Amino acid sequence: MTGLFAEIQAVAGRYPEPKSAVLPALRLAQEHYGHLTPEALREVASALGTTPAYCRGIASFYDMFHLAPVGEHMIDVCTNASCALVGAAQVLEAFERELGIRAGETTPDGRITLRSAECLGGCGSGTVVSIDERYRQPVKPEDVPAIVEELRRG
Amino acid sequence: MSAPELVGGSAADRERIAHELVTVTIDGRQVQVPKGTGLVEAAAAAGVEIPVFCYEPRVGAGIGACRMCLVEIEGMPKLQTGCTTPVTDGMVVHTAGTSEQAAAGQSATMEFLLLNHPLDCPVCDKGGECALQDLSFRYGSGKTRMTFRKRSLEKPIPISPTIALDRERCIMCFRCTRFSQEVAQDEELSAVNRGALSMIATFEDEPYRGPFSGNVTELCPVGALTSTQYRFKARPWEYEQAASVCGLCPVGCNVAVQSREGRVQRVLSRNHPEVDRGWLCDKGRFSYSHLYSEERILTPRRRGVRELEELGWEQALDELEGMIERAQGEVVLALSGSETLELAYALAKIVRQGAGSDRVVLPEQAADALDPFRVPISALAEAEEIVVFEECPVLDRAPLIELWLKQARRNGAHVTRIGPSGDIQRGRGEAALACQELAEKESALGKRLRAAERAILLWSGGGGAGGCHLAALAHALGLHEKEGSGALLLPASPNARGVAEAWAAAGDENRQPRQIGLLVVSGDEAASEPQVRQLAEHARATVALTLFAGDSGEWADLVLPATGYLERSGTMRNLEGRLQRLRGATGSPARRELSWLAELAGRLGVDLPGSEAALFTELSAKVLDGISLASLGDRAPLPPRVEAQTFEAARAESPPTLLGGPLELIRYRALFSGPEVEHVPELSFQRPAAEVEISPEDADRRGISGGNEVVVRSNGTRVTLRARINAALLPGMVRVAAEHCAELARGVEVSRP
Ligand code: SF4
Ligand code: SF4
Ligand code: FES
Repeated sequence: MTGLFAEIQAVAGRYPEPKSAVLPALRLAQEHYGHLTPEALREVASALGTTPAYCRGIASFYDMFHLAPVGEHMIDVCTNASCALVGAAQVLEAFERELGIRAGETTPDGRITLRSAECLGGCGSGTVVSIDERYRQPVKPEDVPAIVEELRRG
Repeated sequence: MSAPELVGGSAADRERIAHELVTVTIDGRQVQVPKGTGLVEAAAAAGVEIPVFCYEPRVGAGIGACRMCLVEIEGMPKLQTGCTTPVTDGMVVHTAGTSEQAAAGQSATMEFLLLNHPLDCPVCDKGGECALQDLSFRYGSGKTRMTFRKRSLEKPIPISPTIALDRERCIMCFRCTRFSQEVAQDEELSAVNRGALSMIATFEDEPYRGPFSGNVTELCPVGALTSTQYRFKARPWEYEQAASVCGLCPVGCNVAVQSREGRVQRVLSRNHPEVDRGWLCDKGRFSYSHLYSEERILTPRRRGVRELEELGWEQALDELEGMIERAQGEVVLALSGSETLELAYALAKIVRQGAGSDRVVLPEQAADALDPFRVPISALAEAEEIVVFEECPVLDRAPLIELWLKQARRNGAHVTRIGPSGDIQRGRGEAALACQELAEKESALGKRLRAAERAILLWSGGGGAGGCHLAALAHALGLHEKEGSGALLLPASPNARGVAEAWAAAGDENRQPRQIGLLVVSGDEAASEPQVRQLAEHARATVALTLFAGDSGEWADLVLPATGYLERSGTMRNLEGRLQRLRGATGSPARRELSWLAELAGRLGVDLPGSEAALFTELSAKVLDGISLASLGDRAPLPPRVEAQTFEAARAESPPTLLGGPLELIRYRALFSGPEVEHVPELSFQRPAAEVEISPEDADRRGISGGNEVVVRSNGTRVTLRARINAALLPGMVRVAAEHCAELARGVEVSRP
């Protein structure tokens, strides 16, 4: 039994139904494996007494779960309506230029993944960019080189 | 029209609410329905149709996924989904028929549903019976405004060897996933991704492996989930349909057998709400193609110098007549319990009246002891307490019962299983003792059973003395006095009780032969019984009626082709005691048994009518109180309970001690086994693995871990199997599917090679 298995079971113990712990359990597995590999999903399923098919259904619904490998850092640029109106497309392009990859890709060195995201919920001051799940807002295209530099150094 | 069905709530809630009526007006028509009725059902009661795709009460309450059921409800600002709305008193509803707003909403919904739909109806198996096709025709606009390319995906992809998935056609109604999650509770099928990218999938490329998976092909309202065996075989308007009953287990699910050009093309459910609720197991649904296997025996065969050789019917009947003449007074009949009453009766009459012999080998006993506690299977869904004496898994004996048990648990019932891998662990052969203890000793379970208004007992295994042990418990608990309570025995064969009745109807003498001049073995189950095989060794001659050469081909002197249950007409008595009609599908490649049996009877001077109906009338007069075939109808009623009598049940005894080895071998007949399954390549992935289930304790002691190759041994027989650790299994027992047991005795030892 791995430490992860026990950790998941401990979390599951806080819910009346073990299956209800599927979100925190997937989170733990992702931290452990980097992304949700089929083995990770199998392990979550067996710790919760459910099936990998069920876990994959849930995991694939949420953007913050990764079923394929991602970089060490994750940049999500909101391109939904409010941000689009204040130049999100240009911000995204600036990231693409700076990183040399397209949205949805990871830099060849495996350091940084860039994605375009649906509404991140910070519409008051766009463009919202989430970097490793922390928000920067508003971000202008000219801010991008510094952000990338910071990540590369970091 | 059937009564509107109530959605959700516990049985008690539903009962209470059902007495309160509310009045609603739908498209100007007033109707009174029980409080809590869904709008779709209320509209149906008013004679108004609200079209639906995703709504299917059998998989749970409405979820409002497809938006097809949009209606206008006075006082509500926006259109509402009928499938998620229970009616309230005074509600005024306008459907698309009378409300422009609702009609516009519905037409827009249709447009969305068709946005990415490939409209490949000409090559789609669902064409002609597709809800999307039908409703587009009636509610769609007829034009598309979609100018972009539609989503295109690889298709069809197999989600199992029996089911194909076309993701382009899927309208994301979630019927299939809700079935998998809520009804079958296997959770093998799920929706992945989100929004326009959503699709139905199994995990990775693993097959949807579950005993009930095929139901999704019938549930899917479009051509997204289809049967691989039926693919491109027929159009729904081309086949002939027979309203029959599945003859593979004692549940007797009601089925529609559809054939074209003399061949069965598929088997669908025919929803008997008290028996199957419209579900079938995959064995019942997908095994029909065994009838067309190349290995099926279609002509009589006789043992020649070296092997079986074919012969014509005339010769075969000469031969059989001679065999019977030579064995007058010494004929033994072995029945499988898969025969119809009529067929068993015809065979019994020939043996008892034509050969003057009254010895029979009947399948496992299923007598009338439980008739005072009779309940419809559907009562399980409403029960509060269910106790299963489960020596053989319910799933293997009577699969649909397992589905009802899941439903019962979903409705809040306590289900307690007593057996080698039950909640209360008891060894094999101890079910009767457990029964007796429950009746006599104080226990928490006993208290709950006595207190419950609706309690049901099930017996799944051998040695029940025809239900006597269970009847004694049911009697002690007073279940005969409570409606919705009862007790059922799940016999090993589909019509065990029916064939016993048929045997009784054919004569009342009891002339037991001293030696066996001729053994007549009907069906493959009987042929594989060790007891019957032993008799065959002692018999001077043996004749077997069989679909495949199989077991009996090795020792029978004369082999006569049998027909399958899908080809037979007649009646069977299921585990509830319900007498149901089978109607044979058109055409059979083999000659009907009753036709040659009538001929044979004629030669032997036995008066035997050649038609099923006449046979039924004759035997009904003798043992069924003269009930008529017509009274059984298409969905047979349950016979009333009989008066309970106090009786003395035999004292239960401890099972005998083991010989051969320290571990007790439980040899079980897995659901996906038997000749019907073995001859269907699409079902081979469901057959039991070559493994031995062992408890963690016993495995540890022997240094065995899961997946290890191990040797199972007893008195000179050795079988190599893979070990599977079953934490629920009682230490001291191991389980192996019968087809992997070879000649192992009851006591075995398991070790690393
Ligand atoms: S596959 Fe069929 S049943 Fe399943 S969601 Fe799609 S349309 Fe509905
Ligand atoms: S549960 Fe039994 S009767 Fe029903 S389909 Fe399966 S084998 Fe046939
Ligand atoms: S039937 Fe009501 S939303 Fe699908």
